[in-house]
Amino acid sequence: MSEENPIVNEILSKAKSGNKTFLGYEDSRNVLKAIGIPFNKTKLATSEEEAVAFSEEIGFPVVFKVVSPDISHKTEIGGVKVGIRTADEARVAYNSIMDSVKRHVPNARVEGIMVEEQISGSELFVGVTTDPQFGPMIAFGIGGIFVELYKDVTFRLIPIGVSDAYEMLQEIRGKKIYEGYRGRPRADPKELVKVLLAVSKFICDHPEVKEMDINPLMVTHKGVMAIDARIIVDRTTTSKLPC
Amino acid sequence: MTVEVLSEEDKLKKYFHPESVAVIGASANPAKIGYRVLGNILFGQIPSGENAEQEIQERIEKQQFAFPGKVYPVNIKGGEILGLKVYKSLLDIPDKVDMAVICVPPKFVKDVITQCGKKGCYAATVITAGFGESGNVNLEKEMIYEAKKWGVRIIGPNCFGVFNTYLPLNATFARDIPLKGPISFISQSGAVGASAIIYGLSESIGFRYFVSIGNKADVTDADLIRIYGDDPRTKAIALYVESFPDGRDFYEAAKEVSWHVPIVALKAGRTSAGQKAASSHTGAIASSDVAVEAAFRQAGIFRAYTFYGLLDAARALGYQNPPLGENVAILTNAGGAGVITADYMNDLGMKLAELTPETIKKISHVCPPTWSHNNPVDVVGDADVERFVSTLEAMVEAPEIDAIIILVVPTGTLEMNKLPERIVEIANKTHKPMTASFVGVIADASEDYLEQHGIPTYSFPERAAYGMYALVERGKYLRKIGVM
Repeated sequence: MSEENPIVNEILSKAKSGNKTFLGYEDSRNVLKAIGIPFNKTKLATSEEEAVAFSEEIGFPVVFKVVSPDISHKTEIGGVKVGIRTADEARVAYNSIMDSVKRHVPNARVEGIMVEEQISGSELFVGVTTDPQFGPMIAFGIGGIFVELYKDVTFRLIPIGVSDAYEMLQEIRGKKIYEGYRGRPRADPKELVKVLLAVSKFICDHPEVKEMDINPLMVTHKGVMAIDARIIVDRTTTSKLPC
Repeated sequence: MTVEVLSEEDKLKKYFHPESVAVIGASANPAKIGYRVLGNILFGQIPSGENAEQEIQERIEKQQFAFPGKVYPVNIKGGEILGLKVYKSLLDIPDKVDMAVICVPPKFVKDVITQCGKKGCYAATVITAGFGESGNVNLEKEMIYEAKKWGVRIIGPNCFGVFNTYLPLNATFARDIPLKGPISFISQSGAVGASAIIYGLSESIGFRYFVSIGNKADVTDADLIRIYGDDPRTKAIALYVESFPDGRDFYEAAKEVSWHVPIVALKAGRTSAGQKAASSHTGAIASSDVAVEAAFRQAGIFRAYTFYGLLDAARALGYQNPPLGENVAILTNAGGAGVITADYMNDLGMKLAELTPETIKKISHVCPPTWSHNNPVDVVGDADVERFVSTLEAMVEAPEIDAIIILVVPTGTLEMNKLPERIVEIANKTHKPMTASFVGVIADASEDYLEQHGIPTYSFPERAAYGMYALVERGKYLRKIGVM
């Protein structure tokens, strides 16, 4: 019935069996890209020259983030630079991050610098949670760091259909934010519906996925794209839904 | 004797259409539940009060019984109760038994279930309390284990029983019996169920099947929704729910049924107590009620938030068809009632129809110039039956109006003995649904006439609007899923 995606299967099966496991940003992103969720452009640079070249390739402004298995709080140790607008700024930022990392975490294994397309727009979010009685649900709402404050979110049991997804878009109190309010980017509802349906289908195919946040899902002038995501896997329950 | 083989569905149907019922724990003592249940099955409602004994004797002599099938009292002591031979065991009954109503003390219930299994009686209603609800979880588990072993189904334990008003079957110890009608009810609380019956008696609200479902140890709301959905007399299903043993199954069952039989539910315990520490944003925002809300919406269940809202919506959905559109018009002889209702409709997010010039012209022909020329259509205080009814006719013909709320304040000029009949005449000729309020009137003859002819009629105008709201939402759901 469902096409098995080898990338998704490989990453999900890496998750420890039996325990609740968080997939990190990289893994979550790769899984979601594989199921068709658009993300901002990124590329891993391993040298100053690459950092500049990739920045130009992706297009300014860009964000640099250090990539290291030994560093979890990148911002605190100066591992993140935003608003890089020129090749010169890129060189400065690259060296500044490397110096800072060396100073704060001398023994860190540094895999490189992630060059990311810097996105501006309105923040939405799409999530998944599992209710003990009703099973997996999909959530959609206003995203960003104030998600839990505003709670401007609507839920549906998974699986959802096209009309459910369209209804969800209409139920958000702050829906004007993605309908072009005061010159803000207007989201194409079709793109949002596609994201919701892709997530719903993903959970049908992979019942071991218990929770997920795509936050923020940005509405930009270039379209809808995810910036950050995390997935929580629990292999103890794998009973399939009637999808 | 051979034991019948039944599908699970057929087993559940035996609860409502048994040909024979045994009461295990039947008693000759009028103070005992085992007496009331037996008497209620036999007579429909056991006579009570001063002359009860005499009345019972007369009815036995004249063979005036309610339940059309066979009734078998079972009690280890034997003897005779209400003129019936008492069997010492279910297994002593010579013929088949379709349903067992069990009122023996908790510790004996499991053995009775075994006997049901041996007897081939698959529909057991366990009225006895003292199981999971009072901490005796193991006793309940053992009973269910036994039931599963034999394929016996259990409604309850800890419930007041089962009604089918049309058979009639009153396998309960309830004081009152519901009126016949189109609403099939499931109540997790016996008391809420009993109150719904009492309210129904005073407001002419009728019921079809009625189950007090108790602890839901075996038979669930989902099982009963599927049975109710198969019943041609059931026009609406009403639920009072506190918890879901299997939320997904409930959701699936409701979805299977709601496209052809409307479901309205009151879920109590909306505020979540034990919300677990969640490891994602989504989990942190999702209270348990969020899942209920989502499930109801997707399954097309109309969610009531109050007890009276449950019954108000159920009677509208049970009597009337949903409108083809969302534009509602109010017809009234009282400006105040119209404004109150328009405000309330706005709160509910309902749409007020905008009258076209043609409709305004038509109404102007039958009303004095002082009429409102707008929706709410106020035909003003001195309206007589002719003016009221002619205006209603014009509104029924207006294409911009999908549904009509009729608000009547009894006045000196409006003959209340004639009006209801004329309204019903018009209602019978149109597919446009109507709800009504004879404002301030509680259950008089005029109100009962409308109610009995399928127009839900409420004491307060907002409640007529709420009934209409349920119908409009129903229409929206049916159009969404492509059924209407």
